[in-house]
Amino acid sequence: MKDVAVVGGGPSGLAAAVRLAEKGFDVAVIEVMGELGGMLEQCIHDGFGTKVFGETLSGPEFAERFVKKAYSLGIQVFLNTYVKQVKAGGRVKEIVAVSPSGVQRLETRAIVYAIGCRERNGFEIRLGGTRPAGVYTAGMVQRLVNLYGVLPGRRILIMGGGDVGMIVARHLQLEGAESILIVFPEAGFAGLPRNVQQCVLDFGIPFKPRTVVKRVIGKERVEGVVLTRVDEKWNPIEGTEEFYACDTVILALGLVPYTGELKLGVRIDPATRGPEVNEFFETSVEGVFAVGNLVQVFDYVDDAVETACIAARGVEKYLNGGLKTSPVRLAPSGKVRMIVPQRVEWVDEENVVAFLRPAVEKSNARIELRSSGGKVLERFFRRYVRPSTLERIEVSRSVFSGQREVETDIADG
Amino acid sequence: MRQILQTAELLCTRCPRGCLLRVKVVESRVAVEGNECPVGEKHAAEEVFNPRRIVSTTVRIVGARLPRLPVRTSEPVLKSRAIDIVAALKNMVVEAPVKAGQIILKNVAGTGVDIIAERDMERA
Repeated sequence: MKDVAVVGGGPSGLAAAVRLAEKGFDVAVIEVMGELGGMLEQCIHDGFGTKVFGETLSGPEFAERFVKKAYSLGIQVFLNTYVKQVKAGGRVKEIVAVSPSGVQRLETRAIVYAIGCRERNGFEIRLGGTRPAGVYTAGMVQRLVNLYGVLPGRRILIMGGGDVGMIVARHLQLEGAESILIVFPEAGFAGLPRNVQQCVLDFGIPFKPRTVVKRVIGKERVEGVVLTRVDEKWNPIEGTEEFYACDTVILALGLVPYTGELKLGVRIDPATRGPEVNEFFETSVEGVFAVGNLVQVFDYVDDAVETACIAARGVEKYLNGGLKTSPVRLAPSGKVRMIVPQRVEWVDEENVVAFLRPAVEKSNARIELRSSGGKVLERFFRRYVRPSTLERIEVSRSVFSGQREVETDIADG
Repeated sequence: MRQILQTAELLCTRCPRGCLLRVKVVESRVAVEGNECPVGEKHAAEEVFNPRRIVSTTVRIVGARLPRLPVRTSEPVLKSRAIDIVAALKNMVVEAPVKAGQIILKNVAGTGVDIIAERDMERA
């Protein structure tokens, strides 16, 4: 029997596995793909690791540090292995997994889920028109271009002005696309300023804000799209339709936690769309932890990795019989879209690390934690907050003592 | 009268706010508008006089499990050279095995900067 089984061999899963192995636990990593590293293998641009390593690395470089560490610690790695079924109700948990060598059963005392996120697809936004070849998700394009050297097309339309859309635009520009246009229903880009400057402005890539694809046109292959302008509520404005010729449509519609693959009845937070977790990233099922982009989609891999490191401490406490008290709910409010963790319940001394996404754009903002009676328990000053940047706060333990619910809000500075 | 040598608009990338900086270069100094804090001025000067980026792309690799090897410049290079750098690597072929950090091409496109492998690639 293993002490811990980590499901998912991306950066978060590997970070959890490495931390736990360093603490002396017997750890196995189960990865569905043929190699470790997860989505970072296709993210060949730089900018990873500024918080964890204090230097800027490419995706593969960041991943490789954890992969090498995992192998050097003797962590057992199952590649090409898909978790089919999990029984996690008791102290001994059973995983049934399928791989080319057959069906395997693995018993473990704790599970860390790190299966990341998935891309939103055309069906979720009811993309209209025909279904020709040449419609891809952005992540698929990254894989094709960066792992296989295949350019998906020459005349490119990208739907989505977030970080992924911008980064894919830069790759395609450098790799020889003839034309690129980015359309987005918002008034401006939704990603980090760094990406707006370095991916879009550096190369002068055209951008149409307040614009969406009404339908895709083409029989065998994409021949173009019908674009339409939208108002602030994303409603199409009549009479603004225009044809745009292209051979490729790339969907960069955002990422959502991959909870569809969680085969146990953990509670899901409708705001994050990931599992609800406590301050050590334990789900509503005891001894089952969730980390990284599965919990909520992070802007920085560094933050995702931090959740794994925090969870490793939680797994240690769980396996050593640590104590819990009655849970204190940590809730978002009007100006906070979501917060992780959703509850605080372990007996522990250290500060609680929380990540929250603002619902508003504001300068000189104060992130406030309030009791249910409205008393401000702790506040954090920020020069500027905006929805596209996740905020990390470190909350004193004492804030939660004697409370049943603590609310987070953003007030004027 | 002072001569304005160059004007530029760029986004400050030092914080989430992303101020739109309107920059004028006047006698080798920058005059910045649109910045909400002093960091913006420093950023504008760097971006105008020395706009450097790490350039990432892939090259063909034979004898490995995958057909492409991700590579990058070993240091930031002038951003205007990005397209030349990728073009210089277009027909390049390397042979597995390769180690992360290994120099794949010295002094790419005359920039004085090397191209290095981003990852290990075993012989398959």
